[in-house]
Amino acid sequence: MKNKKIILIIPAYNEEKNILRVYNDIIKYNKANNTNYDVIVINDGSRDGTSQICKENKIPTINLIHNLGIGGAVQTGYKYALKNDYDIAIQFDGDGQHSVESVKDLVEPIINNKADFVLGSRFVDNSKENFKSSLARRIGIRVISWFIKLVTGKRVYDTTSGFRACNKEIIRMFASDYPTEYPEPITNTKLLKMKFRFKEVHADMKEREAGKSSIGSWKNLYYMVNVILSILVYGSRRYK
Amino acid sequence: MSPSLRLWVLVVSLLITLVVVQILRKGRVPVKYSLLWFLSSAVILFVAIFPGVLDIFANLMGFKTISNMVIGIMLVILLFITISLTVIVSGQKEKIRLLIQEVSMLKKKVDSYEDEK
Repeated sequence: MKNKKIILIIPAYNEEKNILRVYNDIIKYNKANNTNYDVIVINDGSRDGTSQICKENKIPTINLIHNLGIGGAVQTGYKYALKNDYDIAIQFDGDGQHSVESVKDLVEPIINNKADFVLGSRFVDNSKENFKSSLARRIGIRVISWFIKLVTGKRVYDTTSGFRACNKEIIRMFASDYPTEYPEPITNTKLLKMKFRFKEVHADMKEREAGKSSIGSWKNLYYMVNVILSILVYGSRRYK
Repeated sequence: MSPSLRLWVLVVSLLITLVVVQILRKGRVPVKYSLLWFLSSAVILFVAIFPGVLDIFANLMGFKTISNMVIGIMLVILLFITISLTVIVSGQKEKIRLLIQEVSMLKKKVDSYEDEK
């Protein structure tokens, strides 16, 4: 486990209230558990104090010179991971909703060569369910899950989870090709279509600690239509 | 086609040509993209001079009135132009994304060298 180079890619947009705590939690965890998770924060053109906070605290950061949106920001992280020869990259939220303790559960199947891609999920183990999300959101995730099953034949439960780990082969692929919009459900579909070994494991997720998630109902409908259409498009493509 | 309408069509054709020549001279659009607009102004000019061709085409294609045919054809042409513009814009967006990512990564590298000094 020690010889694999592991990096946490943390996209951050206006996360001045959260980013330092997220980073300190990881450093603390590394010390306590003798792990060696590296961090790269991708500051997606934040308008608040995110970049100053990162600079003052010497957090490794790439400051995007212009806002790119979540897909473009995360892809920058995969490019960085590829350039610096990392074996495993984990996407980790900058708002404190993912917990460092769960990272090892995502990394383990890849290290043991049991999976190429591991998705951190709120829904695989219902006994541990402690994340309360709205009914509309759950229904949305169910519908997306159904469409992914339709085009790939496989069931993904937490289709929109942004907590995911992948091996070098997928890092390389993401670095050269990553969807700008709705990246999570789309890449899940694509990886399944390409017959990568896909594993979904339970991960602890907290409520957002500060800042607010942007949710409006019309936006959600638009989101759903786009995601479903994208899944069908990717489902209709042939790989290899 | 009434004489006054023909005059208007003639004026429109000349106007398009003038505008396109002007933006070409100012270097706001490459010659490649101006060809389409010169072509359309030539077509309009042709119609103003020989309005009879419109009748023939409308008959051939089964349109009840000439204006329906003109509007219908224009709509289809504009639709295709818009689709091709969407493709062009998407391609440019992709290139801008690449530029932002690469420049930002370089900036990080340069900053870290400067910090060492």
